[in-house]
Amino acid sequence: MDLLVIALILAGLYMAWNIGANDLANAMGTSVGTGALTLKQVIIIAAVFEFLGAVLFGERVTTTIAKGIVPIDMISIVQPNIVVLGMLAAILAAGFWVTLATFYNLPVSTSHSIVGSVLGFGLIAARNGIISFSDIHWEELTRIIASWFISPVLGALLAYFVFSVIRKLFLRRAKDLPLIEKKFISLQLITACYMAFAHGSNDVANAVGPLTAALQVMGILGVEVPVWILVMGGLGMVIGMATWGYKVVETIGSKITELTPTRGFSAEFATASVVLLHSYSSLPISTTHTLVGSVIGVGLAGGIAAVDLRVVWRIISSWIATVPIAALTSALIFVGLEVIFL
Amino acid sequence: MKDYIRSVLDVVSESPFVPLETHAKKGVLAVEKLAEAMEAYCKGDKAVLEERTEEIDILEHEADKLKQKVRAGIPSSVRLPVNKKDLLSFLKQQDSIADFAQAAAYWMTLRPCETVPEEIKEGFLELMATSLKTARLYRELAGALYKLLATSFSKEEIKDTLRIIPEVESLEHDVDVLETALLKKIFENEEAIGGAGVCHLIGLVERIGGIADKSASAADRLRTMILRR
Repeated sequence: MDLLVIALILAGLYMAWNIGANDLANAMGTSVGTGALTLKQVIIIAAVFEFLGAVLFGERVTTTIAKGIVPIDMISIVQPNIVVLGMLAAILAAGFWVTLATFYNLPVSTSHSIVGSVLGFGLIAARNGIISFSDIHWEELTRIIASWFISPVLGALLAYFVFSVIRKLFLRRAKDLPLIEKKFISLQLITACYMAFAHGSNDVANAVGPLTAALQVMGILGVEVPVWILVMGGLGMVIGMATWGYKVVETIGSKITELTPTRGFSAEFATASVVLLHSYSSLPISTTHTLVGSVIGVGLAGGIAAVDLRVVWRIISSWIATVPIAALTSALIFVGLEVIFL
Repeated sequence: MKDYIRSVLDVVSESPFVPLETHAKKGVLAVEKLAEAMEAYCKGDKAVLEERTEEIDILEHEADKLKQKVRAGIPSSVRLPVNKKDLLSFLKQQDSIADFAQAAAYWMTLRPCETVPEEIKEGFLELMATSLKTARLYRELAGALYKLLATSFSKEEIKDTLRIIPEVESLEHDVDVLETALLKKIFENEEAIGGAGVCHLIGLVERIGGIADKSASAADRLRTMILRR
């Protein structure tokens, strides 16, 4: 069983690394793009606040991933080993899909992947007769999937509102426009911290949620999510940011020079607020998709010279693909692990 | 190098307004070169005339490429803060400025003006100067677009920008008046100039006047674009 613990932790760290390398970098890229922060500053801010968000506020979503979708406790009464293998399969499946998506530059969300792969395990457990299909928390799952649609829309609405207010109060009366933009640079420092905190609080669960469930079943952890697990997830994400994410930040930063500090502030504030709200509501959502919604919101409020909506269709198709693919992969990996270990 | 990233931030696409302003500058620069070409033409300096014509040719070509870039940059999935059709129709007028400059320069190389009386040469220089003035004012207007966008169309900025447009239109009217006067003088001197010469000069008047016409109609379309957001 020790081998499985090591495998679980490594898989969790890999997922955390993945999230830090791509999702976190996406979330922070806007600050660099507007010229508010340098790459180095962004990495430091991301490291500190991502970590804080994960440790201080990451528990709720982690619990959702661990127990909210599949009745882990019910399965573990029958056969605890199955849960351990299932969770390992879930992390591996999500990690695999996210890596593949990264390779092909598809806007796939880690949150969606992990939800899909945990569900995949639940479905195979039900198929094997360990639980019944109705034992899966469909209601919670519906709530989660609904939040994937709602969160970008909320981001768009809030960003639209925030930018409209900024426009009315500052831009339209501007005597000295560069000065106003300059002032928003310092405000963007705050939203960058806010963003990293919010991201950490929601996305740490994608890495450590299944790990927590498995370790709890094995009796290594108690009922509560211990801090060290969140610390580990936070660290993994920060390392991902530092070893690969900086390249992503650079790329994004150089691509979205059209975003000025007032626009960047609006989008970041809206995104971070929406993400944190979902962390509070224990819902795993995609920070990146919410950010896209927010940027579109600023664009629709007249803040951006050109907004390309093609990306919306790419996101929607990735939603549709991610859950079934992650679920199927997870189920297949589980079957393979079962043959090896049981 | 392939970027191994899952970025969705290409939602912010390249602003068409940046190449649009560069396009305006290229067009007006071509008109400035044309004014130099006109001076050389009146002096009978064929070498400078041909040199300028070549430079205008290059500028017109570069402007064309920018026009294609702007057009290609706004597929149906892209949302702009202005009406796309308005933007394109404004771009078309703006593009004609360089076209007229090119046509006028080329027209001058076709026939020397040895038989043209001084009085008419002066008329042409004046017409050219006023046309250039119109185009330059238009360039100022196109340059103000950037500020409009940065403030997300603040009322003050709109007012400031719109104030320039009647000035462009009034200069265009001045050009019209000069055109008529010049045509009259050309016909008065038809004996000296000769039939073919008259024909050539009329063509030149039309082409130089066209620059001011297009500046004014581009300004007019720009107003529509700003007001009909």
